[in-house]
Amino acid sequence: MDDIDAMFSDLLGEMDLLTQSLGVETLPPEPPSSSSKEMNFSMGFADMNVESLNELEENDLDALMADLMADLNDTEEKLAAELGGQKEAEAPHPDLPPASHGLSFYPESSLSTPTSPERGPNTFSAPLADSPAPIFSPPTLPQHAKLSTEEIEAQMKADKIKLALEKLKEAKVKKLVVKVVMHDGSSKTLMVDERQTVRDVLDNLFEKTHCDCNVDWSLSETNPELQLERGFEDHENLVDPLSAWTRDSENKVLFQERPDKYEVFKNPQNFYLWKKDKKTIKDMKDRDKELLVEENFCGTSIIVPDLEGVLYLREDGKKSWKQRLFLLRASGIYYVPKGKSKTSRDLVCFVQFDNVNVYYGKEFKNKYKAPTDFCFVLKHPQIQKESQYIKYLCCDDAWTMNLWVTGIRIAKYGKSLYENYKTSMKKAAITTAWTNRTAGTTSIPSTPSPTTKAKASGQANGHAPQPPAEPVAKVGNAPPPPPPLLPTQILPPPPPDPVLPPLPPPLATKKSPPATSVPRQLPSLPTSFPPSPTSMANLPPPPPSLSQDDSSESPPDFLPPPPPTLGFGPGAGSLPPPPPVSFLPPPPDPGFPLPPPPPDPAFCPVTNRDSLPAPPPRQSNIGAGAPPPPPPPPSASAGLQSIPSVRRTGPPPPKRTTPPLAAPGGGDFMSELAKAMAKKRGNQ
Amino acid sequence: MGQNSHSPVLMAVWDLSVTVEDLGADAPPITVSVTSDLHIGGVILKLVEKSQVKRDWSDHALWWEQKQQWLLRTAWTLEKCGIQADAVLIFMAQHKSLRLGLPNGLTLRLRACFSGPVFRTVLGICKMLNIRRPEELSLLRPVEEKKRKKDKDLSEELHDLTEVPLTSVSRPCLYNGMPAHFADSLQTEKVYKMLSVSQPAPAPEAIAKLYRPASVVDKAHIHSRWLDSSRSLMQQGVQENDRLWLRFKYYCFHDLEPKYDVVRLTQMYEQARWAILLEDIDCTEEEMLLFGAIQYHINKLSLSEPQTMTSSPAMDDLDSALQGLEVKLDGAESSPQDMLENLTAPELNDYLKIFRPKRLTLKGYKQYWFKFKDASISYYKSKEESLGEPIQQINLKGCEAAPDVNVAGQKFCIKLLIPAPEGMNEVYLRCENEEQYSRWMAACRLASKGKSLADRLFQSEVQSILSFLAMQQTNPNTHTDDSMSINTHSLVSPRYSKKYKVKQLTPRILEAYQNVAQLSLTDALLRFLQIWQALPDFGISFVVVRFKGSRKDEVLGIAPNRLIRIDLGVGDVVKTWRYNNMRQWNVNWDIRQVAIEFDGNVNMAFSCVTADCKIVHEFIGGYIFMSTRSREQSDTLNEELFHKLTGGHEAL
Repeated sequence: MDDIDAMFSDLLGEMDLLTQSLGVETLPPEPPSSSSKEMNFSMGFADMNVESLNELEENDLDALMADLMADLNDTEEKLAAELGGQKEAEAPHPDLPPASHGLSFYPESSLSTPTSPERGPNTFSAPLADSPAPIFSPPTLPQHAKLSTEEIEAQMKADKIKLALEKLKEAKVKKLVVKVVMHDGSSKTLMVDERQTVRDVLDNLFEKTHCDCNVDWSLSETNPELQLERGFEDHENLVDPLSAWTRDSENKVLFQERPDKYEVFKNPQNFYLWKKDKKTIKDMKDRDKELLVEENFCGTSIIVPDLEGVLYLREDGKKSWKQRLFLLRASGIYYVPKGKSKTSRDLVCFVQFDNVNVYYGKEFKNKYKAPTDFCFVLKHPQIQKESQYIKYLCCDDAWTMNLWVTGIRIAKYGKSLYENYKTSMKKAAITTAWTNRTAGTTSIPSTPSPTTKAKASGQANGHAPQPPAEPVAKVGNAPPPPPPLLPTQILPPPPPDPVLPPLPPPLATKKSPPATSVPRQLPSLPTSFPPSPTSMANLPPPPPSLSQDDSSESPPDFLPPPPPTLGFGPGAGSLPPPPPVSFLPPPPDPGFPLPPPPPDPAFCPVTNRDSLPAPPPRQSNIGAGAPPPPPPPPSASAGLQSIPSVRRTGPPPPKRTTPPLAAPGGGDFMSELAKAMAKKRGNQ
Repeated sequence: MGQNSHSPVLMAVWDLSVTVEDLGADAPPITVSVTSDLHIGGVILKLVEKSQVKRDWSDHALWWEQKQQWLLRTAWTLEKCGIQADAVLIFMAQHKSLRLGLPNGLTLRLRACFSGPVFRTVLGICKMLNIRRPEELSLLRPVEEKKRKKDKDLSEELHDLTEVPLTSVSRPCLYNGMPAHFADSLQTEKVYKMLSVSQPAPAPEAIAKLYRPASVVDKAHIHSRWLDSSRSLMQQGVQENDRLWLRFKYYCFHDLEPKYDVVRLTQMYEQARWAILLEDIDCTEEEMLLFGAIQYHINKLSLSEPQTMTSSPAMDDLDSALQGLEVKLDGAESSPQDMLENLTAPELNDYLKIFRPKRLTLKGYKQYWFKFKDASISYYKSKEESLGEPIQQINLKGCEAAPDVNVAGQKFCIKLLIPAPEGMNEVYLRCENEEQYSRWMAACRLASKGKSLADRLFQSEVQSILSFLAMQQTNPNTHTDDSMSINTHSLVSPRYSKKYKVKQLTPRILEAYQNVAQLSLTDALLRFLQIWQALPDFGISFVVVRFKGSRKDEVLGIAPNRLIRIDLGVGDVVKTWRYNNMRQWNVNWDIRQVAIEFDGNVNMAFSCVTADCKIVHEFIGGYIFMSTRSREQSDTLNEELFHKLTGGHEAL
């Protein structure tokens, strides 16, 4: 309790300092006109954003405005709620380090940028300052009070200097207004700053669009002049590649589902076992797929699929396409020179990946007289026009092209690709969990913060279907208050009972991932909760648990437990990867075939033990709603949910009035907003 | 119990003669009177009494010469062991000294267990050397050295560890950054340093002299040398003071943790490096140059900070953590300065010459006043005009900066490939001297990665460029510093030493070097291993086999996750089978044939040509054992399982 109090007053003190310095700074500067806004945005950047701003249509501007408003209002509201919560001395808040404490004011941003190194206690300064809430009046500084006045002064001075410097730095941050073309052809306009990754922007778009957040959603760029297209990787900075566009560029940023984005993790066999016959590839078991991913992405080194094949290469400057035998290695693409062997030392390096990106070529048959339309291109991201430095390759079919492009991405991005995938999966799982839960959360005793409740009811108007008591009611015979108990009862097959077949619940869970792709707002949501155990299992389908569920789903297939005679009893637990187990037992025996072992009861506990730990995290996952950062889970989750809804309905008029009232100079509302926005973005 | 039932009265007494090795080769065997129901322990007791030598005999045991086996079960009676009066028994120590060739090419003399299975022996050796995960290593007989080097052999440097007591602690406690048993004497400390710091680059001539496998068959022959890990050294004919190699045998390195794995990591690196230098594993020219660059970097770091290195990984972590903490804590004081520095990045200002090759124009270099600031270069007609608008400004972010240098000819040019929407622009900058060149080159390289001159890497970059230039110096006398005099030929395999002159090779290694120059020693080692592991042929052990139903020899490649059938003539992969589709495998020890069944009724069988089928069997079983570790939480090694999987009939 003391901790919280101390942190709180510390926080207040700091806010106070910030407002003071902000007050000085915000008053004099730019004349409040729209041109100043452009200036502000285009700081240190090429001219294109000015144009893009000019290009903005009326409704785009409105949308941007709405965004800004919503952000401000949110912040303010949350702040108020948060403070209220603090004052009521809510118990569930864990002991948080002061730095992360600041995060709790931005649950929504903490979601979009889970790991922003620059986030310090100061990060929330800008928006707060622009929307002066009553809380600033009591600047109590208990910590500072202990110090001598000189020290305080020195400290304040230093803080001011620091703040000023940060602001300077901030001013150097590139920001872009980006028009994103949606899958339905409409467009949304976003502000993106140079520190934001594609992942951040995607999360942002998820909030705005209510799409299903599945892992295939991606941002891509098109270059109509060169007829190229490339999906951005989630870890890339978005501003970087966009800065390479020319002033007159017709390039576009698309927000669309790209199944090829993470196909390699869903069906690794297509890439790593491409030489095998089609049937083996098609009949691949899930467990084997996982093993492949693990083998190639989880070791000390990323393994690149060993691709080799004849591709057509567009000769420099000529219009002809020439066949060559190409090989992919981790270090680059190589070809076999005429009359030489395929041995490594004879290979000639065609390209290394440090400075090039890989793009899909569109309709090259027409444009470049390519043998087929399945072409890909390697070029420096900054090259935007025809050039001899662009390398064009053409494949026989779409499958081969996909193989190569994905292979090159693996070689170029390595582990990041897999990390991105895991993040996306988490995101998708959380979102599905959210969609399925909606108001169900409130019944969970671990989220009692009044903040959440206030939020949930306040924002719920955005969500048409509102089945608050629904899941609980469906569960029926179970007592409503302690749902956490339920999953533990139902989800994993009870360990001690070997008779109980472990099949049903995992099956249910296994079905739930498809639910990930179910559109986000389900009018029929309540009906998707039919049988009681299933519904509970349906709630939390984070991907990690998938594997265990799978493995327990069909034990006879590939979990033939070692015959008890071998004395594996306790040791079996330490032999987790099932496939080896399947042939472990008697190999050295001459002519001793493997007895197809019946599902050994002794093995059940093992499976259970594996899957047992999963449920609690799931539960907490939902509770937290947000990934790593540690702010109080309840409010974070509330933020997640509330923001889209607010945006959808548009900011209610009364709220709109707050910032103008607060605007210190009483000047142009737009520019104030823009500044606030810029600062806020910058702080992320 | 047995003897009580059918020998009720007295058993016949007979004489058993035993040679006691410690008495010398010429000493006659000692004869003791025994009965058939006397157990081995009793025999030893009598023997020791009769020898009248007072010493610690606890390490000694009986070796049965004819049967080539140890009599280690002291509770067994002579009858149960089947020993009669004609048995030739030798009483000797179980631990004997062994000359052990390490992956880094150096030889240790240490005491190893000659009586336990080799697997155990390796465990003991690794514990002494502080190598974790000993199951990944094994012993093999060295390749015979050519006779002409005999005299050199005698002078071979041996690092003696025979005096080091064998520790019983599972993880030795650290003292002075090294396991306590190494800290006893200066000499052993030296040995530990040798184990944990990578060795300086060998002379190119030395590399050229070493044995290099020329073909897959040659490589296959190496694998016939592995010792059987389920039998003891004695049983495999290894004598005291014989030479054996310790090598990583299974190429799946589990749980590599630089903090604890200093020796393991170093030796792994050494093995990888020699595999590449001796062309045991194929790589492309580009890869070879990168390997060379990392070797150079590791050499340099090992020489410059040998002392901190032993304990560095952990310390590095701590240091950086502390530094991070500091920055956070006293943000008020220090960080504004930092930030100011970052905001007002330093500049470079100089007169340089520029040349832009353009089609149809042959203009030479022209001199301008150059200013380098914030990842871009601007140039002006003269210094005086540098306050005004530049003639041109070039943004270097994303560019490629390559050296175009000839030290002898005093040519110091930087070739810049600058990306632009229309393609890449070629620009050459000519500097006056090394010093100027190194600063501008370093600046260009940092800028190409989007970093400014304020970056603390700038100075180290300048230094490394200078030292590389020094390597090209024609006059070696000007530089006496050892670290600078590395011959680039010793960083690549002889094939490339022959192909390129030092003058051609050095700039190319330097080019590759810029991508790794910032790595810490540990990171550099790890990077080297990563690139090694990413090679297509990594981790494949070859054996020549004859498949059932086939009339020609083929090659079986045994990889950590699969078996590969390779055509001996062409070298093409014919087929691969993955272990996780394997249902069972059997060895018919009579006809020495390995039969494997895979999912979907896929069967294959082969007999081994170059290696014993026990070796192949052990490889397969070993890899399966290795894969069982992947999710195991505990550190304990399931030895029993290993033997079950690899033992063959001995295990039964």
